[in-house]
Amino acid sequence: MPTITFSLKDLQHLVGKKISVEELQELAHYGKGDFEGYDKETDEAKIDFGDTNLPYLWSVEGVARLIKGILGLQKGIPEIKVSKGGYQVVVDKSVIKYRPYIACFAAKGKKMDDYLIKQMVQLQEKFCESYGRRRQKVSIGLYSYKRLKFPVHYKAIEPLSIEFVPLEFKAKMNLKEILAEHPKGRDYAWVLEGFDKYPVLMDDKNEVMSFVPIINSNFTGKLEIGDEDLFFEATGIDEEAVNLAASIFAYALHDRGFQIYSVEAKYPDKKVMMPNLKNESIQIKSEQIKHLFGLELKENEIKQLLEKSQYDFANWKVKIPVYRNDILHPYDIIEDIGIAYGFDKIKELPLTTFTHGSTFKLNEFIDKVREIIVGLGYQEILSAILANKELLYRKMNIKDFGTIEIDDYMSETYSVVRSWILPNLMEVFSKNKHVEFPQKIFEQGLVNSRKGDEIFESHRIAIASSHENANYTEMRQILDYIMKCFGLSCDIEEAEHDSFIEGRVGRAIVKGKKVAYLGEISPVVITNWGLEMPVVALELNLSELWEVMER
Amino acid sequence: MEIKKLAESLNPVERKVLKVLDNFDYFHDIMKATNLKDVEVSRALQWLQNKNVVELKEQQKEMVLLDENGLKYLKSGLPERKFLDAIERKTSVSEIAKKAGLSNEEIAISLGALKSKAAIEMEKGKELLVSITGNGKHLLKHGFPEEQFLREIFPKELSSLNEEEKSVLENLRKRKKIIRVELSKIINVELTETGKKLLKEKIEDDLIEKLSPSLVKASAWKGKKFRRFDVKINVPSIFGGRKQHYRRFLDEVRQKFVALGFKEMTGPIVETDFWDMDSLFMPQFHSAREIHQAYYVKEPKYGKLDEALVKRVKEAHENGYETGSKGWRYEFDVKRTHRHMLRTQGTASSARMLASKELQIPGKYFAISRCFRYDIIDATHLSDFFQTEGIVVEENLNFSHLKGLLKMFAEEFAETDQIKITPGYFPFTEPSAELHAKHPDLGWIELGGSGIFRPEVVKPLLGREMPVLAWGIGIDRIAMFKLGIRDIRQLFSHDLEFLRSAKIV
Repeated sequence: MPTITFSLKDLQHLVGKKISVEELQELAHYGKGDFEGYDKETDEAKIDFGDTNLPYLWSVEGVARLIKGILGLQKGIPEIKVSKGGYQVVVDKSVIKYRPYIACFAAKGKKMDDYLIKQMVQLQEKFCESYGRRRQKVSIGLYSYKRLKFPVHYKAIEPLSIEFVPLEFKAKMNLKEILAEHPKGRDYAWVLEGFDKYPVLMDDKNEVMSFVPIINSNFTGKLEIGDEDLFFEATGIDEEAVNLAASIFAYALHDRGFQIYSVEAKYPDKKVMMPNLKNESIQIKSEQIKHLFGLELKENEIKQLLEKSQYDFANWKVKIPVYRNDILHPYDIIEDIGIAYGFDKIKELPLTTFTHGSTFKLNEFIDKVREIIVGLGYQEILSAILANKELLYRKMNIKDFGTIEIDDYMSETYSVVRSWILPNLMEVFSKNKHVEFPQKIFEQGLVNSRKGDEIFESHRIAIASSHENANYTEMRQILDYIMKCFGLSCDIEEAEHDSFIEGRVGRAIVKGKKVAYLGEISPVVITNWGLEMPVVALELNLSELWEVMER
Repeated sequence: MEIKKLAESLNPVERKVLKVLDNFDYFHDIMKATNLKDVEVSRALQWLQNKNVVELKEQQKEMVLLDENGLKYLKSGLPERKFLDAIERKTSVSEIAKKAGLSNEEIAISLGALKSKAAIEMEKGKELLVSITGNGKHLLKHGFPEEQFLREIFPKELSSLNEEEKSVLENLRKRKKIIRVELSKIINVELTETGKKLLKEKIEDDLIEKLSPSLVKASAWKGKKFRRFDVKINVPSIFGGRKQHYRRFLDEVRQKFVALGFKEMTGPIVETDFWDMDSLFMPQFHSAREIHQAYYVKEPKYGKLDEALVKRVKEAHENGYETGSKGWRYEFDVKRTHRHMLRTQGTASSARMLASKELQIPGKYFAISRCFRYDIIDATHLSDFFQTEGIVVEENLNFSHLKGLLKMFAEEFAETDQIKITPGYFPFTEPSAELHAKHPDLGWIELGGSGIFRPEVVKPLLGREMPVLAWGIGIDRIAMFKLGIRDIRQLFSHDLEFLRSAKIV
């Protein structure tokens, strides 16, 4: 979720009204934002915006626009005028295959200062990282056009065919070198993976402006304090997203007092005037408002609410500001009507229809088993389901019997889904060597295992007891007691299981189904866990036992 | 306590000790006088002190104690006595040794001791011959001063010895392991005022210490008194079997939902991308779907799905599927939707329920689901946790009902009816709202998220549009508040002492 920081004074200046911290806190909600704090000394306010599809709010200009609407200082879609610029970008057919879309504009009439550059960089970074899918979908560049010779060329070239000095570096490098050595090159090389040619922007003097979407040139590709003639470009693989970037920046700079100038894109087969600031429309119905919010609003009320939210409204047709790309369905508009109306003003209604509450029979059965084991003096444990093979197999002296493994785990400790529970209990013993004995513990929970392409999920319970005189009888008695509680009987057969002592491990069979292992834990396993005290244990498959009982 | 009650509360050992306190005030004297063991006396004195009957004072004193040989000689006599006993006129030393059963060392000692007392005379010939003197006969008859000394009560205070005893002591100390003098803690017992009064009280000896089946059967308890117990005394702590603190809490949450008319729903923890995200209209390019946000499963890579359902969801993503929505307008990856992963959100169960034949309308559903996220584990994050989510499906429900529902949750789970509902964002709901509640102790807290499922979610799964109120409650946070836990990892603690003593709420 993008968190943005800005100066409160600057926000007040852009809105044209004094806004207190408390007011800002309330107003942030209208943009689905959470106010995170205000630093009196630096005048810095922080808002966390939850909606990943509303990038226009990731700069103070967007926040100011939202607030002007809500406060009624601006009605409907804010006007923006684009003057004819006479600049041109030539899109070479070589780049179409790799990164086909570009949107540009020019802006002038104001001087860049330190704070404004920071705001623009903030918006650029948040946009490219989150909405721009780490620059793959969209990346953005800002330049002072005074240092450029038009027309600008957008094309794809051989990686070794050109050299330039990238931002923050001193030496010339070719494109391959940049990907290997420049920090940004390493961060974003993945976007160009598999490409035999790389996209670049060059001016008419063949001066590299940007190695797209990696890094700009140290010479032409950066904004400096005092610059007043800006050239904006966004490139990417999604035309809508590229245009959205241009419109959001055009509006932001326009709100700052810049005059926006058009740029023409000359594609191999067509010419396009940019920025494209055409507003789309969507039809709504008053029933939809009633349907979602239970509100019956008059047409003029709806109009007022929509204008607060920076929409234009006429004849049930809603015109959407170009910097919003998140409207998929009329309900997206209806939600904004509800937000502008105020969620707190909407009345609460109780649910009155009777419905029958219930849980699963299996869960009820599981709870009964847990209750029985607690009654025997056992402490219940709750462990993570994520585990590792060392814990599940190596320490337990057995082989992997089919594990769900995680593809790209963060930590080895949590790299697989547990296939049985007893190892968790052994871990508990190993962490409590100095705690009073006897230690009697159990855990009930989910385990997963796989056979080929099939995944088996089941509920199990593991029970373990550790003390000087722990022996097989103890576990056998518990198993028999559980069976007796449910009117079942079980047969025990001799079993082989290397976690247990040979000749002291049994397998319980209920109505022909093998449901449990029980026995004395092998000294090999006890030693593996750094323990000395004897342990006896059983692990019972409750899903299967339940199935047998239901039969 | 009244003196009478106090007298009745004394246990047999205390009674025994108390009775001798009139005459003895040193721990070892009391031991001797009562014939009780060290621990018994010390425990009894401790109890008596707790009852304010005595006051125990510890002193450091030099004490004389019998050593190994001292104890032996006390029992079987000193070697020099045995030596004297064995003399008949002029007897050779070897014969004496044989007769008296003395070792060479003891012979040497005896010779030295007896010579210094002029109790024997020696004659050197082929062999050393020994005869007894008058002094020797006197000693045999009246005893050695050393023998007398050994019969004293030990330990004995060094300072209590008279001059004569002191010289005997010095003699004995020169010999091997007879006497040792050491600095020891001496417990001096002093009767308090209560103690003095208690001694004057009649101390009943015939109190019943323990009720037994035979006493009951024979009515032998009748007419007798039970010894009074100090019911206020602290006793050693015990621990019992119990449910784990967080699971107990979740059990109650489940009971609450059932009581509120909710049916439980479920789903597997190894899910597909389809149920976890695609069916919830989260576009495949959404930032929450980066590889590093979820745990994808190595093998089996892909799961089975109802392909007709997949087709409808694909359309919803691409073009809105008959809902009037534009959709996300990208090419939906059908293979990817089959990809196996660990469930990241309980909402997957809600999606499964909407598409299930089991769904009842009107219906209320909840799930307490184990979920997994690619997160660094710290005091506020787990990669493996529980989520509580659910849906309410019914014609004609709208945001007002959602607000009513959220208020009910706030009352049930945060014990408050003061709630604030603010706009929020979830890819699968429109409108979306965050629930904040004013907790009586903690002030405003974020309690959960909610909304009404988008038509793009409902129609492909259910086959038609229908109001579906969806909600999720941050149950782990509430559990932490209730259980008084600050570190979320303690919900899954492996610390047995903590588990045995965790507060039950």
